[in-house]
Amino acid sequence: MDYWLGVLSSGAEESVEEHLMTCDACGNRLREVIALAESLRALAKSGSLQVVISDRLVKQATETGLRVREYAPALGESIQCTVAADDDLLVARLAADLTTASRVDLSWCGPGGVEVHRMADIPVRADAGDVICQQSITWAKASPTTSMVARLLAIDSNGERVLGEFTFHHTRTIPGPPGW
Amino acid sequence: MHVGLTDADLAPLIAEGDREAEAEMCRRMGPRIRLYGLRHLRSPSAADDLRQQVLMKIIEALRAGRLRERDKLAQFVLGTCRMTVLDLRRNAHRQDELLAMFGGDLVPDPPSMPRLDDSQLARCVQALKERERSVVVMTFYDEQTASETARFLGTSEANVRVIRHRAIRQLRACMGASS
Repeated sequence: MDYWLGVLSSGAEESVEEHLMTCDACGNRLREVIALAESLRALAKSGSLQVVISDRLVKQATETGLRVREYAPALGESIQCTVAADDDLLVARLAADLTTASRVDLSWCGPGGVEVHRMADIPVRADAGDVICQQSITWAKASPTTSMVARLLAIDSNGERVLGEFTFHHTRTIPGPPGW
Repeated sequence: MHVGLTDADLAPLIAEGDREAEAEMCRRMGPRIRLYGLRHLRSPSAADDLRQQVLMKIIEALRAGRLRERDKLAQFVLGTCRMTVLDLRRNAHRQDELLAMFGGDLVPDPPSMPRLDDSQLARCVQALKERERSVVVMTFYDEQTASETARFLGTSEANVRVIRHRAIRQLRACMGASS
């Protein structure tokens, strides 16, 4: 995979290429790697994954012509949101003070505040000031009108404390069944 | 009949005008050249074009007996690949025009690539740890370097490479490729 990604040193890359010119078994293995890499690329671009991403990736998506629907509620705020049929990416920017947290979880809760899904130990940089979470666009397009609460939690030996809470009131605008 | 011969055995036969040896050399080297092209040109059609150009140059050189050390055929092919990729990059625009005009007639069907179950892959990626999933998405979305990803994660490039290796290994196992 390192060879395909172009991250080997020039000497190592040269050795791999010399070997590939004489070994079809490794060539077949490289074909498997390429297939995996290409499928991962398509999946990453599909917007269908729930994943914490960088600001650079959001900018890159916008620059390449993707329709990015972005919500950035203030700390403690409730906002109305939706997703349209031609949206490509759905992104939430959750602003919070991350400087005091050694580990951060992102907990997604239903309207009653009961946790339905937890993204444990998400990648955050202490000085970032926010967490950018891509929500699955496939899920959002199929979702009925509902509310979700996102809680950023600092985890340490004393337990967990809330760094920020954000409520999303999702209104369905794409026709579909009223519930799951 | 030439299937059992080594690469080194093929070179002098081609110099003697043996067309079967040429065909066997093309059968062996064609897919290897194409892989090199996929890696460096990132395009199946450009890789096909590279394969064709390199094979023509190799056959021409072998027929003329220009390969002095016959056990260096693979290195000769690799060197020709490198030079041709440089030429292709320099003349990319002209190549695109020619391919658009003649590509369909000249380029044979490419060797089949393995097919993956995309739904299964999505489930496997979603099952990764959050940090691993972020690294995978950022690596493959627009081929961000380990250094860019490391800046985002607030960690070292070496750690990003470790996370990526671990994630890829887990994905291959999840997809059944490890077997």
